[in-house]
Formats: sequence, structure tokens, C-alpha cells
Amino acid sequence: MCLLCLGVAVGTTVLAISCGSSRQELIAVIPETDGMMLWDAAHTGAEKAASHTGSAIYWNAPMREDDVAAQVRLIEQVVSSKRYQGLVIAPTQALSVLSPVRRALSQNIPTVIIDTPLSLPPGGNLSYILNDEEEGARLAAERVARLLQGRGNVALLGINPDILGVTTRARVFEQTLAAQYPDIHVIEKRMGSFNILRERQVAEEFLASDPDVDVCVALLWTTLNGLFSAIDSMHPRRPFKIVAFDIAADPPFQQRPNLDCIIQADTKEMGRRAVELIHAKRRGQSVPAEVLLKPRVITRNNLNSPEIRQMMSFDWSLGRWAWSSTP
Amino acid sequence: MTSPSSIQRAFFITFAVCVFAIAVALVAWCIWWRSPVEVHSYQKSFANGQTDDWTALGGTWELVSGLMRDDSDERGAKLITGSSRWRNYSVEADISLLGQGDAGLIVRSNKEEEGVDAYSGYYSGIRTLDNALVLGRAEHGWREVTKKVSIPGGIQPFARYHLKLLAYDCQIVSALTTASNPTPESIAITDPDCVSSGHIGLRSYRSGGTWTNVVVRPAGHDELMAMLRNEEDRGVRAPGSPPPDNAAFSRAQARLTAQPVSNVHVQSVESLRLAFLARPALATVHGVVTLNSPLLFVQDSTGGMYVKQRQPLPLKVGDEVEVTGTVNPAVFSSVIEDASVRVLWESIPMAPVSVTASQASTGKFDATLIEVQGRITGKERGPDNTFILDLEDSGQSFRAVMNPGRSAYVFDRIKPESRLSLRGICVVDPAFTQNLTPFNLLLRSSEDLNVLAGPPWWSTGHIVALLFGLFLLSLVSGFLFQRVENWRLRAVLQERERLAHEMHDTLAQSFAGIGFQLQAIRNNLPTQDPALQQQLELASNLVRHSHEEARRSISMLRPQSLESEDLLSALDTHARLLVEGGSLRVSSERSGEIRPIPLRIADALFRVGLESIANTVRHAQATELRLHLHYGNNSATLQVEDNGTGFVPDNAPQGFGIRGMRRRTQSVSATFHVHSAPGQGTRIEVIAPLPPRVTFTTWPKFLWQYLTETWNHARPSKLSNSHSYRG
Repeated sequence: MCLLCLGVAVGTTVLAISCGSSRQELIAVIPETDGMMLWDAAHTGAEKAASHTGSAIYWNAPMREDDVAAQVRLIEQVVSSKRYQGLVIAPTQALSVLSPVRRALSQNIPTVIIDTPLSLPPGGNLSYILNDEEEGARLAAERVARLLQGRGNVALLGINPDILGVTTRARVFEQTLAAQYPDIHVIEKRMGSFNILRERQVAEEFLASDPDVDVCVALLWTTLNGLFSAIDSMHPRRPFKIVAFDIAADPPFQQRPNLDCIIQADTKEMGRRAVELIHAKRRGQSVPAEVLLKPRVITRNNLNSPEIRQMMSFDWSLGRWAWSSTP
Repeated sequence: MTSPSSIQRAFFITFAVCVFAIAVALVAWCIWWRSPVEVHSYQKSFANGQTDDWTALGGTWELVSGLMRDDSDERGAKLITGSSRWRNYSVEADISLLGQGDAGLIVRSNKEEEGVDAYSGYYSGIRTLDNALVLGRAEHGWREVTKKVSIPGGIQPFARYHLKLLAYDCQIVSALTTASNPTPESIAITDPDCVSSGHIGLRSYRSGGTWTNVVVRPAGHDELMAMLRNEEDRGVRAPGSPPPDNAAFSRAQARLTAQPVSNVHVQSVESLRLAFLARPALATVHGVVTLNSPLLFVQDSTGGMYVKQRQPLPLKVGDEVEVTGTVNPAVFSSVIEDASVRVLWESIPMAPVSVTASQASTGKFDATLIEVQGRITGKERGPDNTFILDLEDSGQSFRAVMNPGRSAYVFDRIKPESRLSLRGICVVDPAFTQNLTPFNLLLRSSEDLNVLAGPPWWSTGHIVALLFGLFLLSLVSGFLFQRVENWRLRAVLQERERLAHEMHDTLAQSFAGIGFQLQAIRNNLPTQDPALQQQLELASNLVRHSHEEARRSISMLRPQSLESEDLLSALDTHARLLVEGGSLRVSSERSGEIRPIPLRIADALFRVGLESIANTVRHAQATELRLHLHYGNNSATLQVEDNGTGFVPDNAPQGFGIRGMRRRTQSVSATFHVHSAPGQGTRIEVIAPLPPRVTFTTWPKFLWQYLTETWNHARPSKLSNSHSYRG
């Protein structure tokens, strides 16, 4: 009888502890990768929102953008643990994460996809907070048109079919040029990936062909890195300007005079809204199925403006981390 | 009464085992919780290659000349050890960076995973980017404070620094010294919502590093104050302010400005295989280091190659390098000899290509970083203290070669027939394979090896252990079941005792009272009415008879007579009570070597004996009643014999209880015999089986029978002692 009482007491205690510990809303945020400014900003936004909603954030990501298996593994881990009340994903590859996302939805986990969409329609437990790629492409096209004064040749590098948003960028960019700036021609197009070595090789091959381009548009940050590396090694004869998307670190305008601008996604706002959306959804409030956030054009003139610095800053003040120096 | 179901029995036993296990775990956890930090010096274990208690999360960690070394440019590679219960302690080490980035120590770490800041704890390190001593907290995110060091030259790769990180309550202090600058430069934080305990660790971000003289000590308040007194010019970065000149932005990707490059023509690795067939020629390639020890392999997006350096350069896995040297094209890949290597920048290590053993054996992936699976068929130690695993998969055999160092622990643990996933450089050159296998795999570290599945569980040893375990479980279960049955029987006997007392206090007293009243009426009747007298006489006889029956029933219910005396004595006492004042003479006799009779059997014999004695007293009109109890080797025989009128056993009248006695004896697997004939008296004989005496030679037989009958409810044999209480 004594053993029975002890067993019941222990079991009840364990149950109470486990129930108590899971009361706080736990949201998993799994971006494409970690340790780079683009996604540190998203982390900042998510943590800021969580500090207001009282949620807790689990943040982790593959250490490389092209490590699709690692991202799928992290998502599966979150879904199978049954400890999380929300899931935010910036997919590395549109097709590979479909299965784990479907599993999350089947377990009624509110899921928000940020930055780039999947082929699943929004609705129910699935929402999108996306970078307005079409707007970004139009901004890039306008910037190119201003640089070339309506006439010239453009190379489009880094078309990555793994990311639906990137293919949208390429498509709308060309369409905008064709519709509004018919004297600007896209004479070169190259596929891209998150593999820097490969991007360098592609860029070197591109430059080796001595292209007659006036502006290079780099759709991925790895493409930009590869292009810089190729420029450094090959010293192309003809100078050209560069318009890039979604840089990983502070734009090197000083080091790269030919870099004109960066079309940067507001990942901090994506992170913030994603957490708030999940929190609202769990409370039965109506939430939009899809939100498009306009990217910003960062130039050397506005780089240090408060608006841009705030967007790119990854520092945050959290009540629980309000530490001080020693007394 | 029915026996408990096998389901109930199994449930009870399982529940008891679970409760016991929980209690043991609770005690062990309480003891563990109180385990204090002791001094741990890892220098000796590093020197001896003992790193069993370290867990790597990312990176390529190896022991090299007594140093723990991470040769990888991974962001946030960690090596963890210690206890999650360590609370107040300091850890210190001598640290060198292997490139640009940062490296340092972790304290109070929990929930570690692979990932950049994928742990909960505190980290302090030295960083080249802003020449800073860094201290911060990771919680799957990162927040830091930094302090620019005043060391001449700042933080440089390959220089040695001594870092000490102390955690006491919610105060964390970090101090940095060098041989040339022994005055500590410190930085400290007070974290109100601190992590209270956790592991220690080594960590690097992009630079890789080496760690030596790693020591953990318990920390007290005095030590904390001593470190704080040395603190100078605290450098606290106000949250929200932009990093000055981006210097504090430690998360920069590969520098976008490369080192100045020479104006050479860079070729792809694949092109080298075709371009220089006629004569050796110089070539320059760019690639990422995929293996740096003991040989250098470099890979670009077209393939990999072996590089023989003119002068060995300290390189890390993931470094992007420019290699210039003489090309020596081999069959499947090229070798660059007399090469000069220049680091362009640090990058993240390449991802391996997943191939099958069959694909790798074609040579197509020579000098390339691959991932392949295989089943271990053997292992041995190779030259230069390397560890060699023999594997096979899909009909292909290959070998994996691991460097000495941390691999020893993994090598010893791996069991033949395990299935592994391995990552490493595929080499097909006979210089590596000695033509024994189509290819070998050069592993970079023990982290390149994952056990997917152990050897099949069904081995001889495991089967024997399983059988033995089942055997022990059967013994324990049977013992527990027997105990439960005994408890139940005692409860039944206690209930009978209670009923007997109730009957004595109520029924028997009432009969006595009625008898007295009837006698009083007879005595006080005014007339001598014969009919009335006769009716009163009859009523008195009925009451007397009922009273006697009640007394007999009470005495049969009371088990105390059985428990306080042995069986024969109890029956003798009862018989003498029943015949007190009468003409029936009672004698009792025992024979054989007296031994204990199990309670259930004794109870059954006692009940049968009582019923037999009652029949003799009521029906036999006998003058002698003989009780005989014989103890045999494997049985006990009870005989109740009288010299009364006898009867025909097959036509036994109702009320003799023959059927009840037969049922009771069957319930204890005993045999019941009635020997009687009219005019020749009656002998009731019960032969009940007893458990055999357990000797050295008889115990296996006894055990086997006991187990068989206990679990299968088998038909009892002479050797058995079934305690089933069949109704």
C-alpha cells in the first residue's frame, strides 16, 4: 500500500510539472540559416513580438542555406515533439519542406511561412508573410533604368528554382523592363544556388565570356559573393554596376564602388508579424492568410538612416535579459 | 472461490516493478542533484587521448599533440562535457584561434544542439574582428557585451591566450591574460534571470581553434570578488545602438573583399585532368579545404584534388584557398605537387555528396568529399596510430581511415555488423588502397561517423541473457503470486473467525435462552397434559439439537485452533470437545517424519477432518474414533476411522457432506477415499501432496515443476504443490 501511494504521488508530481512547464506559448522559428544579418534581424523581430505576447521562441536553423535536410530535420523535430504551439519557417527549398509542413498542419499547429512561399495555398492554419517579390523586382527594374537612363544591357544572375520568390523576382524584373523600358535588354541569364563555390564558378564563366553588360542583377546573396570573387580574380575589362537582393551582411558600399543598391527584404518585420499572427490565431482572432511586405532599397546614401539601421539591426531588449554590469 | 486471472497477476507484478523503479530513480536523482563540482583537469585525458565524456556538436574536433583542436570554419561548433548540475564553478584554458573569427569557453550550458547559438548558457571568447573579449548569453539567440582588449597587436590567429570564465550565482566573469600581458582584462555581467547550472564547453565561430590546459574548479564568492577587482573599463554596449563601424557585427559572412589576388588564370579542378597530359605544367585553382590532416585535399564545384604543399600551412576545413603548383594528372583526379597555398578567406565547410558504395567505387568521386553507408565487417589499427574500419555495402568493400585522437573512443565502441554512415574524402589511388578495395574513405574526425544501426540484437549472448532474465522473472512472479495467495487465505480465515464470533454471540446464545425458557414453561405448567408435554419435549430437543449444530458450525469456522496447534492436535481437541460426556473414545496418532504442511493444505485437511468427526458423532453410533496423520516424503495422509454402523459409500445419505469433502480435497490436489460398509465402520482417508524436500540434487526438478504448474495451471503431479483454490 505504501509503495502504491508513493507511486501515485510521484506520478502526480511529474504530471503536474510537465503540465505546468508547457503553459507558456512556445513558438519555433526555423529560418533558412543562422548567423547572418538577414536572419538575425528576423530573430530580433520574433523575440520582440514574443516579449509582448508572453511567448517563448525556439530558434534554430541549418548552418548552411543549402542544407535542406537539416531544415527538414529541425521541422520534423519540432512537429514530433508536440511541445510547440506555433511554427514559423523561412523555407530553404520550396518542395522539400512540403511534407513536414503538411504534418505540422495535420497536427493543428498554426504555421506561418515567411519570406518565400510554398505551393500550398494559404488558409486554415497556414499563413504567409512574404517579401513582396514583385515590388522588389519592380524597384530593381526602376533602379536599373535610372542607372542606364533607359538604354543598355543587363545580366540576370542567380535564378534559383528552389526558392519560388527568386523565380518571381526574375520573371517580374524582365516583364517590367520589357513593358516600361524596352531599350533595356536582358542579354544574359544564369541559374543560381546557395553554394558559393558554384556561384563563383558561374560568375567566372560569365565574366570570361566578356559580356557586353552594363548592369548585373544578382538575385541571391551567394551570387553577389561569387560575382565579387570573380571580379577580384578576373578583373573584367568592362566595368558594370551591380544591383543585388537580400545581402547577408552590411552592404559593402565603401569597398565596392560598383555596387549600386541592395533590394532588402524586411525580415525583422516578418519575424515580428509571424509571432503576432500565431498568437492572435491561437486566441481565435481572425488573421490574414497572406501578407506582403515591401522590401527596401538600400543605397550608400541611406545606409545609415534610422529607418534602414532599424530594419537591419539585430539587437533587442528583452525583459528577461536586462542584465547589468557587476555591482 | 476462483483463482485470480493471469491478467490481474501480471498487472500486479508490473505495477510493483514500475513503482520500485520510480523510487530508485528518485533516490538516484536526489543524490545526483547534490553532486558538487569537483576539480577536473582535462590535460591528462587530452594527453592520453581520452575524450569519452566530450560530445561534439558541429566542427571537426580532434586531439593533436595533447591539444583539443577544431579544424573547421563552422559557425558555432561546440564540444560539451561536464554535468548539467554544475552550478558555481570556473573553467579556464589556453586558447589559440586558427583564423579570423572567435573561439572561447562555454559555461552553464543546457539544451545543446547543432546550430550557431543552439544552446542555453554563457559564452566568452576572443574575437579577431573587433579585437574584443566577448561575453554573452545564448538562448538559441545571442546577446553580448564586448570589451576591446589592450593587448599589443590585438587578437591574432595562432597566438596563445589564457581565458578564464567563472559563474557564481547570477554573476558571470571572464578574464583574459597572455604571457606578455599577465594583468587580466575582465568583463562581467549580472543576469537576473540567469541559467543556474549546466555543462562546460569549447566553442569556435568560423575561426576554429585549439584548447589546452582545460581545468574546471568549484568557485566561491571570494574568487568571484577577486576576479571582479581586476576588472577594468567595463565595456558595455548599450542595447539598440548600432554597432560602431560594423565592428561588433560578429555575424559577417565571408569577407566580401578578398585578399589581393595575383593576375593568374584560375582553372577548375576538373579541367586539370585533361589539360596537361603531355608534360607537367603549372596551374592555379581555387577551392575549399575538405581535409587538412594528415593530407591536404581541396575541392571546387567540379571536383577535388590532392595537394602536396611545398611548405605546410595551418589550414582549416572550410578555408577557401588558392593553390598553385605542378599538376600531375592521375587516372580519376589530379595531384598538385610542390604547391603554394594561400588562404583567400574562411568559409563554411562543404557539404558531402551522398553516394552509394557502388558509385564511389567507379572512381568518379575520387578526391571528393562524399557520404556513404556501409556495414562493418572488421576493424583494426593501422600505421601511424590510425584506425581502419572494413566495411561493405551492396557487394562493394571499402575501408575508412580515421586519425588518432578522439577517434579512439569511437573506434572502441563500434561493434562489428553495425551499419554506419560515414563522411570523408574518397580516394581510389593504389597508394591509399593498396589495391585491396576499390576506394578508401579518409575521415576528418570522429564526427564524420554515425552509427545508423547496431549489430542485430539476436546474438547468442543476448538470447542466453534473455532466457535467464525470463527465468528470474518467472521466479519472482511466482513468489509474489504465492505471497498474495497466502495473504488472501489469511483474510478468509480471519473472516471466518469473525463469523464464528458473531454466531457465538448471537445465534448460540439465543438457542440457549430459548432452551431455558422452554424448560421453565415445562416446569411451571399447571396441568400434566401429555400432548403438551410431548410438544414441549420436542421443542426442547429441537432447540438442543440446533444449539449443538450451531456450536459445531462455530467450531468449524474458527481457524485459531488450526493456527495455534498442529493439525492432528487441533482435530483431537475438537473431537474431544464434541464427544465430551459421551461414550465415544477418541485417540490420535501420528507417524512419519513431522514436517510443515502448507497452510492451504492444512486448512483443507482440517475441514475434512472436522466434517468426518461430526459425521461419526452424529451418525455412526461408534464407541471408538481414531485419528491418524502420516507424514510421507511427498504427501500427508489423514485418516479418520470409527467402529460405527458404516454405510454404503455410493448411497451416502444427504447430510454426510461427502461431496463437500471431496471438493475440498480436490482443491488442494489431494485424493479422497471413503472406506465403509454397513456394520464395519467407516474410514475417511485423504492423501494430500506436499512439496518435496529441496536438496541439491532435487531442486531443478522441483523448480521446473513449480514454474510449469504455477504459470500454466497444469494438472498437478506428485512433486507439485499446487496452491490453486479451485471451487
